[in-house]
Amino acid sequence: MSNEHTVKSYEEELQFLKDSLIKMGSLTESQLSDAMDAVIKVDKDSIDKIIKSDEEINKFRSKIDTQIMNLLVKRAPMAIDLRETISSLKISQDLERIGDLSKSNAKKVKPLPLDLPDELLGNLKRLGELVMKQLNDVLDSYVNKNFDKAKEVWEKDEQVDDLTYIAMESVIDFLSKDKKNLDFSTHLIFATKNLERAGDHITNIAETVCYLVKGEYLKGSRPKGKVIQE
Amino acid sequence: MSNIKIKSKNLDVFYGDKQALFDVNLDLNEKEVTALIGPSGCGKSTFIRCINRMNDVIDICKVTGNIEMDGMDINDKNLDVVALREKVGMVFQKPNPFPKSIYDNISYGPKIHGKGETKSELDEIVENSLRKSALWEEVKDRLDEPGTSLSGGQQQRLCIARAISVNPEVILMDEPCSALDPIATAKIEELIDELKKTYTIVIVTHSMAQAVRVSQKTGFFHLGKLIEVGKTEKIFKNPDNKMTQDYITGRFG
Repeated sequence: MSNEHTVKSYEEELQFLKDSLIKMGSLTESQLSDAMDAVIKVDKDSIDKIIKSDEEINKFRSKIDTQIMNLLVKRAPMAIDLRETISSLKISQDLERIGDLSKSNAKKVKPLPLDLPDELLGNLKRLGELVMKQLNDVLDSYVNKNFDKAKEVWEKDEQVDDLTYIAMESVIDFLSKDKKNLDFSTHLIFATKNLERAGDHITNIAETVCYLVKGEYLKGSRPKGKVIQE
Repeated sequence: MSNIKIKSKNLDVFYGDKQALFDVNLDLNEKEVTALIGPSGCGKSTFIRCINRMNDVIDICKVTGNIEMDGMDINDKNLDVVALREKVGMVFQKPNPFPKSIYDNISYGPKIHGKGETKSELDEIVENSLRKSALWEEVKDRLDEPGTSLSGGQQQRLCIARAISVNPEVILMDEPCSALDPIATAKIEELIDELKKTYTIVIVTHSMAQAVRVSQKTGFFHLGKLIEVGKTEKIFKNPDNKMTQDYITGRFG
């Protein structure tokens, strides 16, 4: 437990920033999960709601930006406070990008036919669940300042890469059976790729949390999925 | 690798019964700026005053342990303190020019140390010192005016010029900018950057931002003990000691 700042309002400003980021994180989680559900269930009614929630996330991002600017100008934070401030800036950027990718996925639902076979969506669903779990874990690691947990998320990104590859394969298989599937299959390929990119942003967040906690960057290159390595 | 210019080993300082420094082990690198930070009364100024034996003027002050400059024991009873202070100049919190002309402020030191025997030699020392302290252009046409007629920031640069006029190796600065406005402060900081190419500099400062800007090494003192010392960047981004972190982030109770 660290002591409190002598200047109470500084303490409050830092706490307010952390709270904003946590709220932004949970909004991003719900949006990612809603967008996944919409794709898997081909639920076209939820598209508007998901697009709207992205606006909320973007608003959070600019609110956090302003808070950070104020902190830098007013407090010139040092050491852990500096790392906390800069990390919030980076994490909010990654969350915003994850939000954009979820929105993009929601938009992909529109052209999908309602009778997509289960085997086509199975792998995509598994990928979505894994990415959801990763986001949940990385946000937990941020809240609890847990280096080990953040590092675990960072390492697990290779599973996201592998599942992406597998999910892509199943879409391409399906596509190759009938050229008529081309139109919406392309959308599914993009949706899969979006999840993989969300995974990369989650990995960024994991790196940021590691830096925040220990004050040094993770060494070595990012783990890559086996399939991608080949 | 930087050479160590000044080395303190197990340095203790007492003012009467009160111990002001406890077992301080600190190396100051040559031609580098070392910043000393810590709350008031933590021993930073006491430490730098050991380097030019300024504590000698306080009767009740007792210094034990070892402090060396280039391997020479500064506390050696037989050491010529005047010669030491020629090598170790000092600049204080408040600018304190002599009540003399700008010219005489600079030439006084060289004269008493037997440097600059002719007028032209002295002229040269005065001009060089004022140039090095970035004051020449502002005062070259008014060298016979009193030093005290200058602005606060100029007076402080005059004091720096005075310190470097005797060609020292080390410059000690005890909160040199605390009485100056931001522009004058910026000029002094710019000057420190330039001076470190020639001199070893130790600066005591209460401004964390200043310590980050001007120094390569930072030492944090608390209650007479050196708590942590390391590269400035490391101290201000990711210090090892919790007390250091609490101090620089403003969490001191």
